[in-house]
Amino acid sequence: MSRHGDRPHATSDSNLSGRFSRRGFLAAAGSGAAVTLAGCSGNGDGEGPIRIGGTYLLSGLAEALGAGSEAAAQVAVDAINEDGGIDGREIELEVRDHGDDPQAQVRSLVQEFEADVLLGMTSSGVTLNTGPTWEQLGVPITLTDIGTPWITEHDTETYGSYYEEDGTAAGIPNLFRTNSHTAHMTYAMAQFTVDNYPDITRIANMGPDYAYGEQTWEYYQAYLDGLGFDYEVVESQFPELGSGDMTPQITNVMNADPELVFTSFWASDTVTFTDQAAEAGLFDEVVDVLDTIGASPDNFEALGDTMPEGVHYSGWYWPGSYDTDADQAFVDRYQETYADDDSITEYPTFTGGSTWAAVQIYADAIEEAGGTNPDDLIDVMEGYTYDDDPRGSITLDSTHHQANASCVIGESSFDADVPYDGAGQVNIETYEIEREEALDLLEGSDLPPGM
Amino acid sequence: MSYAFRDRLATADNTTWLAVAVAALLLAAPFFLGGFQTSLLTRTLIFALFAVAFNLLYGYTGLLSFGHAMFVSVAGYTTAKTATVIAPALGFGELFGGIAPVVTWILILALSVVVATIVAVTIGYLSVQLEEIYFALITLAFSMAIFVVFLQDTIGELLHSFGLGDGTWSNGSDGLTFRMGEVQLFGSEFRLVSLVDPFHYYFLALFIVTLGLYALWRIVRSPFGMICQAIRENPDRARALGINVTYHQWMTFIISGMFSGLAGGLLVSLSGQVNPEAHAHWSFSAVPVLMTVIGGPYSFLGPVFGAFAHEYLRWIIRQFPLLEEYWQFSFGVLLLIVVLFLDNGVAGGINRFRAWLGVASTRYADDGAGGVVAFTRETVTHYLSLAGEKLAR
Repeated sequence: MSRHGDRPHATSDSNLSGRFSRRGFLAAAGSGAAVTLAGCSGNGDGEGPIRIGGTYLLSGLAEALGAGSEAAAQVAVDAINEDGGIDGREIELEVRDHGDDPQAQVRSLVQEFEADVLLGMTSSGVTLNTGPTWEQLGVPITLTDIGTPWITEHDTETYGSYYEEDGTAAGIPNLFRTNSHTAHMTYAMAQFTVDNYPDITRIANMGPDYAYGEQTWEYYQAYLDGLGFDYEVVESQFPELGSGDMTPQITNVMNADPELVFTSFWASDTVTFTDQAAEAGLFDEVVDVLDTIGASPDNFEALGDTMPEGVHYSGWYWPGSYDTDADQAFVDRYQETYADDDSITEYPTFTGGSTWAAVQIYADAIEEAGGTNPDDLIDVMEGYTYDDDPRGSITLDSTHHQANASCVIGESSFDADVPYDGAGQVNIETYEIEREEALDLLEGSDLPPGM
Repeated sequence: MSYAFRDRLATADNTTWLAVAVAALLLAAPFFLGGFQTSLLTRTLIFALFAVAFNLLYGYTGLLSFGHAMFVSVAGYTTAKTATVIAPALGFGELFGGIAPVVTWILILALSVVVATIVAVTIGYLSVQLEEIYFALITLAFSMAIFVVFLQDTIGELLHSFGLGDGTWSNGSDGLTFRMGEVQLFGSEFRLVSLVDPFHYYFLALFIVTLGLYALWRIVRSPFGMICQAIRENPDRARALGINVTYHQWMTFIISGMFSGLAGGLLVSLSGQVNPEAHAHWSFSAVPVLMTVIGGPYSFLGPVFGAFAHEYLRWIIRQFPLLEEYWQFSFGVLLLIVVLFLDNGVAGGINRFRAWLGVASTRYADDGAGGVVAFTRETVTHYLSLAGEKLAR
């Protein structure tokens, strides 16, 4: 793939804004209220602050998740500003909720807030829908919370273009990702299953009833097949996303008498599932319950004493798992910042590492590029290695723009050293996988590795 | 202020020059608005058409549909499939060269209207057998059935069971996202629909919306429209006059669905994506209802005012993080104000304001600025006591 050929001219469309006058339009909108509208994009390479715009879910199902990402981004921005900013320029961060029109939020951040670079998002579906908008805006966007592998898959020849022919390759030229994703995580869980439960044969699935729940289950099975694991699917249930009552599905799963239950709940769905499964006695009847991105301090804090010990939930990051100075420094700073803030769990969430890294990589890239020109930034970021990542050094792939970040699987325990009332993770293992190995394991499944 | 000006303000004679001024403003707008505002204005105009089409059924015929998302969603999926499957399969690229995206877009609008009409004919026939709240509930039920069909990708599964496709058609909860392609014309090259600055698309949308509104205007001013209003006022009397009420309601439902489908094709072309949650869910059906209630259902342009009020207030709320966090609440407050103070939404409010200006200018002529201040004070006191009375009930 020729990346330069595919890349849009960074601000070709957004430069059309403000054709005659960038400011000064008065709108009455029927009510007589006059407001000044501004329509311009990019902060250019001049003076003034460098602006980072973020969109996360800050309401509803994943409010705590989005708030955790925002908190990590703010800690990273504060750290850079305390060190004198980037070439003397301060960073200004604005994070907004997805809202009812996420693409409009993204456009507003670039065209009204004049963001130089973007962070996001919390929903894979919204991310896939926003791809062409980011592409036309042209500024770099780094994903920190997104599971779908498709958004960093650029091989349209093999997998078909997501936007043109019902394919699964949706990679766009100015998009990067610092978190490990579904194709990393399900590999980790499949490998964990093979390594720890070689004699188990009866597996059941539970996941949210939408694309993410379906995809994770498909990837997990494809990896188990690729690893040569012999198993039988005894039940598969998909409660509605954000459902308050999962007991019918939990009962169905228990009636199927599985040995292992694979789940892909996240945010408040993890809390609902764990709470109701514990009440129903599911954890006592099976050997283990796995969950894709449920291992997050905000979930464990919300569950309190209800969280069963000894189950294996996983995540893209768990504080203190990496034995790196960078991780310790990040966790210390995070705790210091939010020690007195009741609205935020005083411990980074599972997107903390990737969000911190995204902001730091932007700072490094802007410094190296000598400004915020999108093309220059993208050039620097392609293949860029960030050594001070809390999770250990990561590199952004030069073609697919995906970081070779790890994911973690730990054992839930109340012996874990955490600064809140609730369970934490112990015996944590990190997992990594490269594209070639993923291609090999996923062969015959039509599922793209996206890495 | 001259007497003539006061006179013009107080009467309806100024309609023509006002229309010319609005037309000139709309034609000039994208030349001085930025990309974001051009996009917002385009979306608002499309919603104006959608809301007026909805109001043909509600304000004119007295049938409250709570399922108009069905027309936008079926038109939306038709749009996406036409752009990604039908146009390429028909070889539009080779046939029409640089103007292929324009021809594709025309086909999109035509097919959107056709598919929405088919849906309206069938669902409308069943729905108009019921009245009042039962009509609202059955349209809601049909709309949510269509939502589930797209969410569960029933069409994909059905096709797959006949050996066609891989089971994916509507792509479940993620929906369909597509690119509209670039036009090459007279040596220049541009995106037919730029997602970040739809300068060219704005004029196309403005043209279609104007045509659509004009057609709807002719319909409501025709004998057909008079019968609609007769049915709204008293279906039994209309029936006594020999009108086949159910048949007429069915026809109105079909026309409303056709124009809603047209708006759906325009809207999804603008956003480049359609998904069940955003376009087929019942909450999307609430949008034209809200716009119409805010704007005023008993005036042809009421829903247009409502669309502008809805979209621009939403934009203003987005500017303030605290308001944005509770934007539904902010809209609730707005709706409360409209219900409490205005007889017929913003349209009624504008008429009242015009009348108020007329009186205020008379008071100015009689007592100078002090007269206007006194009149303002009287008005505010009146409305506050009115609100107090309504809330106390």
